[in-house]
Amino acid sequence: MTFDWSFFWQNLVSPDGAFLDGLWMTITISMVAMAAGLVLGTVVALLYRSRFTAVRTFAKFYIWLIRGTPLIVQLVIIYLGFAAAGIYKFQDTDVLGVAVKGAVQAAIVGLTIHESAYISEVIRAGIASVDRGQTEAAMALGMRPAGTMRWIVLPQALRTMVPPLGNIFNGLMKHTSLLSIIGVSEMFLVAQSISSTTFKTFEIFLVAALYYLLLTTVWTFVQAWIERRLDDQVGITQPAGRKKLNRPAPAEPVTVLKGVNDA
Amino acid sequence: MPETATKEPGTSRGTDVLVRATEVCKSIDGRRILDDVSLDVRRGEVVVLVGPSGAGKTTFLRTINSLETIDSGEILMDGHMVGYRRKADGTLVMDSAATVAKQRQEIGFVFQHFHLFPHMSVMENLWHAPVRVKGVPKAAAVEKAHKLLARVGLSDKADVRPRNLSGGQQQRVAIARALAMSPALMLFDEPTSALDPEMTGEVLAVMKELADDHMTMVVVTHEMGFAREVADRVAVMDAGRVIEQGPPAQVFTQPAHARTAAFLSKVL
Repeated sequence: MTFDWSFFWQNLVSPDGAFLDGLWMTITISMVAMAAGLVLGTVVALLYRSRFTAVRTFAKFYIWLIRGTPLIVQLVIIYLGFAAAGIYKFQDTDVLGVAVKGAVQAAIVGLTIHESAYISEVIRAGIASVDRGQTEAAMALGMRPAGTMRWIVLPQALRTMVPPLGNIFNGLMKHTSLLSIIGVSEMFLVAQSISSTTFKTFEIFLVAALYYLLLTTVWTFVQAWIERRLDDQVGITQPAGRKKLNRPAPAEPVTVLKGVNDA
Repeated sequence: MPETATKEPGTSRGTDVLVRATEVCKSIDGRRILDDVSLDVRRGEVVVLVGPSGAGKTTFLRTINSLETIDSGEILMDGHMVGYRRKADGTLVMDSAATVAKQRQEIGFVFQHFHLFPHMSVMENLWHAPVRVKGVPKAAAVEKAHKLLARVGLSDKADVRPRNLSGGQQQRVAIARALAMSPALMLFDEPTSALDPEMTGEVLAVMKELADDHMTMVVVTHEMGFAREVADRVAVMDAGRVIEQGPPAQVFTQPAHARTAAFLSKVL
């Protein structure tokens, strides 16, 4: 076996501009698609909980359709299929002064739609995990359904949702490698083109693999930080063993009530 | 004096009706849960609902603030129907969520299992709904929350999370949270049933004080001592019906109904 160590180290430690652009593209698309996927996923999850059967059916159909077909097929249909059928053609445009290629827009749309189906299921499960009594207590105080969701249910559901959502984001970062099929110059496509010009296939894809590993590792730490923060903010008790539960204060004698009317 | 006192002490408890339930019926899966329940609650009155488990006490209490649907009959709060409006042909139509939410602002509800919001401090549990729902300025809501906490004897717990409180303390906070909305009516659903015996007293003491301040209250409880001492009227439910009602002295000592006598012999 021949392994060009110097080529490997050079590309690992100081990758060339094209590779860094590809890495940056991977990161940007991942973050934008995750953010948009969270919004769309929340909408789908709420549609799933609608009072109206037709709306619920639509949400179920959407999840069934998107989860039931491969991302790579969805991407090709959205970018190439739609254009070929004359339904919609993604054009290169400027967004806030940054040139965004049509393929990149299609990639973001495709990933957003794909991940939203999974995200909506996580959000739905998170909402269902919150005790029904919380909703009743909020409603009994005169809160409307939207306010109850916003202030009472979602903040408590969030803590349960972070680990599975973290999984989804981890997967999403790696899914971006599929974008090469529609010509988005993300890290995988760049590695492929370096490979085809240098024939250092093993070396350059090993470098790419290590960079994907770097991204997901950084995310692992970010996710742990988010979870710790939510533990403090949301105040949900930890699973037994991880953190000692505060013992309830001893009951106070009833005598404390005497004279409180004077207060 | 806390704002929740609806009347000056000394003025006679009003005779005007705050809640009027008329022939309320509800079935679940073909089983009659509420069977023609009619009950009036006058302003400033404390009505205690007693009866064997499964009699429909809790279900009836929950219909008053639309936590349960009804099949027929009507419930009026201050002369207005709650949860439903009546069409010209007499059929009931559910009110919109926004309308029901508005109606509930007038009705405080205390749950058996407290249901405090675990992601908020005790203080925020108290000011959240007044600020978000009624649009009370936060400073005013916080000030009122402090008064209410003092009233239930928990001033020192303002900044802790509910999970760090004992059950009795949590229930006192839950009562304060309901009072923070300045309701005209307070409903209590077995407020001490989830508590250890030594914590029952502190919650009942808060409720007694509230009754002394002439809050209108409907209480579902198995605490017969509380009923005897605090209730203006005891209503006995059995198999979805109100079988008997009257002053506690009368109901407890000379029950008119054999089922009442049978029930009381078990719990007294």
